[in-house]
Amino acid sequence: MAWTKWSYMDHWVTETPQGPQPPSFNRAYMDRYVKELSALGFTGFDTFFFYLPLYAGMYGGVPGFERFLQDNGFEKITGIFSAYPSATKYAAPHVRETHDRIVADCTNTLRMCEGLTGVENFIVMPTSTYWQTEPVTDDTIKVVADLWNRVGELTRRHGMTTTCHFEFWGAIRTREQVDTFLAHTDPELVRFFCDTAQHTIAGVDPVQLFRDYADRCTGFHFKDTKDVDEHEAYRTPPDPELMAPQVTRWFYEMGEGGLVDFPALMKEIVASGYDGWLTVEHDKAELGGGSYAEATAVAKWYIDNVLAEAEAEARAELGSAR
Amino acid sequence: MSGIRWAYAINQWKPQFDDFVRREQHERALKTISIAGFEGVELTYGTGRWEPLGNPQQLAANFGSVAGFGEFLRSCAVDAVSSWYWDPAERSMEDLTGPLSPLAEADAPAIAQRAGLLAGALAELGGSVLLVRPVPGAGDVEPLDDDALARVAACWDAAGRTTAEHGIRLALHVDFLSALRRDHVPALLDRTDPALVGLALDTGELTAGGIDPLGVIERSGDRIWHVQFKDALAVDDAGEYLQPHAHWTVRVRGGAREVPRWFAEPGADGGLVDFPAVTRALLGAGYSGWIVVESDQSPHPAASALLAGYHVQRELRPLVEEEPA
Repeated sequence: MAWTKWSYMDHWVTETPQGPQPPSFNRAYMDRYVKELSALGFTGFDTFFFYLPLYAGMYGGVPGFERFLQDNGFEKITGIFSAYPSATKYAAPHVRETHDRIVADCTNTLRMCEGLTGVENFIVMPTSTYWQTEPVTDDTIKVVADLWNRVGELTRRHGMTTTCHFEFWGAIRTREQVDTFLAHTDPELVRFFCDTAQHTIAGVDPVQLFRDYADRCTGFHFKDTKDVDEHEAYRTPPDPELMAPQVTRWFYEMGEGGLVDFPALMKEIVASGYDGWLTVEHDKAELGGGSYAEATAVAKWYIDNVLAEAEAEARAELGSAR
Repeated sequence: MSGIRWAYAINQWKPQFDDFVRREQHERALKTISIAGFEGVELTYGTGRWEPLGNPQQLAANFGSVAGFGEFLRSCAVDAVSSWYWDPAERSMEDLTGPLSPLAEADAPAIAQRAGLLAGALAELGGSVLLVRPVPGAGDVEPLDDDALARVAACWDAAGRTTAEHGIRLALHVDFLSALRRDHVPALLDRTDPALVGLALDTGELTAGGIDPLGVIERSGDRIWHVQFKDALAVDDAGEYLQPHAHWTVRVRGGAREVPRWFAEPGADGGLVDFPAVTRALLGAGYSGWIVVESDQSPHPAASALLAGYHVQRELRPLVEEEPA
């Protein structure tokens, strides 16, 4: 049976009379966005912490928004993404003195999720930008690990798993740094979230990384890239994702000839016994005149027509090995 | 279960003549159509180098052969070309012919020959219906008298005979600017051979023309050989279709009101067509064949296809699947 737990990460831009806007522009745009995802067969929905108040306003509470999703074929809100990408004097994961504020901020986000069916992942960027954090030493990583161990304990009490999503421009980006971070964090409290494009850009093989940390992995962002960062773009201030001079667009939907070997990852996922959500993410799909609707349709087509075949092959191999 | 199959019209991706010409654009559009839940695609006739999907010669030039295009379709998980829309008034660069008119007796053989060419390719691509614009726009010809209707009927009977040789049915697609709007549709249909010529029911065009599609199904349900589901967002209740060149002044510009968009995908906000009622009426009339969903035109083609897919998956297909065999 083909994988049924596909979720969508809530990036989307739509044309409005006021120019390109997120669908939270108004309720009608939001409804249409959800219907488009529903038509594609997504059953999980991941969103950002900063959208929760908007959705609560439009749908009479975050649970009201989830009910709208459920009326349209979704199972539930599956993940909440939280981040402190720019270090400030109030929030910087590598600065221990800001940890209390970050934990308090996470607590506020968790309060917004009360009454939901069961958000599984509390997805975090473990650090701020590399250029604001460097030099990145083992001690730096240890301080960051201490923060997420605290947040991991907090989210566990709310039934969610803290899981770390590494950016190519974050302070924990190389394979060695990821290994160090995961070694310093409690495997029961802090998990690993595999973003296929981010790792690839950073020169880390996402398939091997998942193979090595499958027991700590609680989710994926399936997105592609066409570039490995060979110019230290990750050090570009203030934001390497949108302002790196060498690469104007880092991320692409699956099936467009990028660098990530998704069929190999799919087979690895099946072989590992992982049975959680797989998430499609697009980031800045509108660059170059693109459309989120089309990018997401093409990605889901790839899932149903290419990854489904890889999955079936992996299951057959597993069956014959038994 | 009925024999209804769902397709999507690709014309909404091509707002004007030199857009949407690249292979990867076609691939992404077809994949979007497929994943939205449609098994077929409807093509629109076009001519020249910027119409790679416009006619059999261009398919061959771009894909090696008509069969090569069929392979491309299947690689995108689209099973068939359901149908082809053709207005004989469009010139052909490939054949170096000008506009052909069904009102001109002398043009009838060429129209039949061209219809046969399209039908041959359609048959190879798994399709079943050639849709034609039966007459020019109301503002561009004299009112159709009995003689004119007889010439038009003879023209389409002959063309239908040619398409039938390929196993393809010929269906008259009456748009809201047509000289057949209002009373002339039955007048023409009644003059044609029911074995050779049928009707294409376009919900949006009829509604924009002030004609209730349910009434058409009630009167001519047994003649409906093809269906297009698009919504209408406005009605030409001032009779602007009678103006010359209404294609540009009314359809494209929006007439005196500057209607920004006459049509949209089923289920669009402000849409005037009751699609569940039309679906039930079609089932009641025993319709079996393609229902081609359209947006025509859309500022956001992929979004329109997905919203149409949502509407079909959740509201219309269940009505069809409830139908006893």
